[in-house]
Amino acid sequence: MSSMAELLWAEKYRPRSLDDIVNQEEIVTRLKKFVEEKNMPHLLFAGPPGTGKTTAAHALAHDLYGENYQQYLLELNASDERGIDVIRTKVKEFARSRVPGEIPFKIIILDEADNMTADAQQALRRLMEMYTGTTRFILIANYPSKIIEPIQSRCAFFRFTPLKKEDVVNRLKWIAEQENVAYDIEALEVIYEVSEGDMRRAINILQAASALGKVTVEAVYKVIGLAHPREIREMINLALEGRFTEARDKLRQLMVEYGLSGIDIIKQVHREIFGSEIKLPEQLRVLIADYAGEIQFRLVEGADDEIQLNAFLARLALIGKKVKG
Amino acid sequence: MPAKELPWVIKYRPKRISDVVDQDNAKREFIAWLNQWLRGKPDKKAALLYGPPGCGKTSLVEAAANEYNLELIEMNASDFRRRQDIERIVKIAATQMSLFGRRGKIILLDEVDGISGTADRGGLDAILDLINTTRHPVVMTANDPWDQKLRPLRDASKLIAFNRLTETVVAQVLKNICLSEGIECEPQALRYIAKLSEGDLRSAINDLEAIARGYGKVTLSLAQMLVRRRDREYTPFEALRNLFMSRYAWQAKQAVTQTNVDYETMLQWINENIPNQYTDMEDIWRAYEALSRAALYLGRIKRTASWDLLSYVFDAMGPGVALARVKSKYKWAKYNFPQRILMMAKTKQVREIRDSLAKHLASKLHVSSRLVKSEFIPILRIIFLNNPRYAARIALGYNLTENMIKYLAGPRSNEVLRYLNELKKGKALPSEETQIAITKTVKTVSEVTTTRTTRRSTRTRRRKGGRGGQTQLPF
Repeated sequence: MSSMAELLWAEKYRPRSLDDIVNQEEIVTRLKKFVEEKNMPHLLFAGPPGTGKTTAAHALAHDLYGENYQQYLLELNASDERGIDVIRTKVKEFARSRVPGEIPFKIIILDEADNMTADAQQALRRLMEMYTGTTRFILIANYPSKIIEPIQSRCAFFRFTPLKKEDVVNRLKWIAEQENVAYDIEALEVIYEVSEGDMRRAINILQAASALGKVTVEAVYKVIGLAHPREIREMINLALEGRFTEARDKLRQLMVEYGLSGIDIIKQVHREIFGSEIKLPEQLRVLIADYAGEIQFRLVEGADDEIQLNAFLARLALIGKKVKG
Repeated sequence: MPAKELPWVIKYRPKRISDVVDQDNAKREFIAWLNQWLRGKPDKKAALLYGPPGCGKTSLVEAAANEYNLELIEMNASDFRRRQDIERIVKIAATQMSLFGRRGKIILLDEVDGISGTADRGGLDAILDLINTTRHPVVMTANDPWDQKLRPLRDASKLIAFNRLTETVVAQVLKNICLSEGIECEPQALRYIAKLSEGDLRSAINDLEAIARGYGKVTLSLAQMLVRRRDREYTPFEALRNLFMSRYAWQAKQAVTQTNVDYETMLQWINENIPNQYTDMEDIWRAYEALSRAALYLGRIKRTASWDLLSYVFDAMGPGVALARVKSKYKWAKYNFPQRILMMAKTKQVREIRDSLAKHLASKLHVSSRLVKSEFIPILRIIFLNNPRYAARIALGYNLTENMIKYLAGPRSNEVLRYLNELKKGKALPSEETQIAITKTVKTVSEVTTTRTTRRSTRTRRRKGGRGGQTQLPF
């Protein structure tokens, strides 16, 4: 019966061992050295989403401790844990117990570490020092520049790069074959183009497209259209037409009904601004993108997502009015 | 400062308990409680005195301290923010000795209802700590003790109610002061001041003093000319009106600070109503830009507990918004209740399901729940809306609850649930040769969330081809 149960392919086909990882060769080689030596420093994995950071961390632990590696591993996500105090408690709890085995340390994976404030990172640094005898940290971040210097200097740094077209397409092909899914090779190439080297996104699109039938170029575009709520583009167009309150209603729909965060929305807006569907004089795209960047910065620091995005929409409405007038 | 220069509210503060006017019940209860303490065994270690402003709550505590020769340690609502201040008081409270010899102490926390809900969470806990550890009586005062957030304090305290003072009582006190100051006064004038004070003796004495010092006598015509109703807190509707009518920065700042809602709620009210008030797009943008700055400061305050930034929040949401007006004409606008607050209330259940789904998947997928929401849920929705049979297998794989399935599959949740049931019963899925139904028109996510219509999309039955056929599906 369990064979009838299905998983998301991004998880199902996640490489378990370092040997299974087909890209990031240089990183894998260095990590395999740690397995050989049965020792490692604190690590910092940085790079864009979907490039294998979390996978590499798990695979490393797997190769170090064997199949039951989970008990040697504490996995925390900085953006889901409520503040450094919670993290501190969990780390303390985890580091206290010793687990027998030939590896004298346990591993703590802290994902999205760049979402922590500088203060929290200072506290984290002290934690890393305190438990350095019994634990190793693997910090994972999209933006290494948001990790404070003292932490960076305590970690071996690994930079993950967006996956190459060939790697993504081959992987998608392989998965499709495992799943007995019919596909057009052009469709897989389109998936690579739109996922921008993000393997997780690429696999997700493949799975959704295959749920619709054969994976064709058309199906892929359909999935992309559905996955990105069209309300985002509608919202931008309404604002540019000067219909500010209607644009604001769309924004609320996106936030409340879809549960998108302000950052998610502004990032998708940014993508749309340079797309051909939005009609704008070219120099205004630059102007709007610049303001979008400012708003994204405020979203990170601010207390209320909707207010920040309303400021953005109001600016769009103003720009739209000037274009027309 | 010579005694005659003291403001009358201080000069005529009750020295003894019997000087406190009216409030016989409250006095009796308070003295009984205080005596329990002095004998060493109070039922409750704290007392919460509540009643309208200026009815004698603080005065009673001061008079009692004076009469019982207790050292009064006082703390105001504004101090509660800072945990270290409270901890300083806690230290004093925990020690038996007083600075001034072997006197006992009484600790007064004035206006505890001034603690704002979320921001002063720590302050509230600190007060509870204080009550638990204190070796001296702790007295708190509040205008409104029934606020939800004060519940822990209510539970830990003896509640003592104070009544609103009657006009007669207030007028009598004013008369005594006039007599003692040798001020000529008309009884109707005192009556008038008492009436407008709405039982607030403190404000009545201040009004009396203002007239008497200015004119040397208190007449009805002077009172009618000079005494206004007190500044009070405004509803958000009134506050918005005041804000948008402000011509000066100070007016606008006053407008956003004198409201009966907290500043975060006020921020939402302004956010909702800027486009209702301003007509010019540039004004609207300037106002939002100011509001955005206010929210930015508020974020920094929350993250770093830098409460000294709070003033800038008010600057931005008050004057910043009011003075954004350049081209828009003054006009009467109809203000709305913040729609987002309504929407959040209405969609609470759905959001809870979505959040629990995100959390559920986050741990299995080794990503944050935010990423589940932005990357995985949209993909799952496409699958659940378009391929219920395949969706059922995923639901099984991740042990999704019925609510989660309904959230993902919307109008097709019955189909998904039916397939899931079959899977669970261990029925073999129909073979590849069996006819299966898939929707021809691909459903969009928004169709499901926005319009819960009963319109069924046209379904076609397609015969599935053999292995490698055109319509091969992944199951």
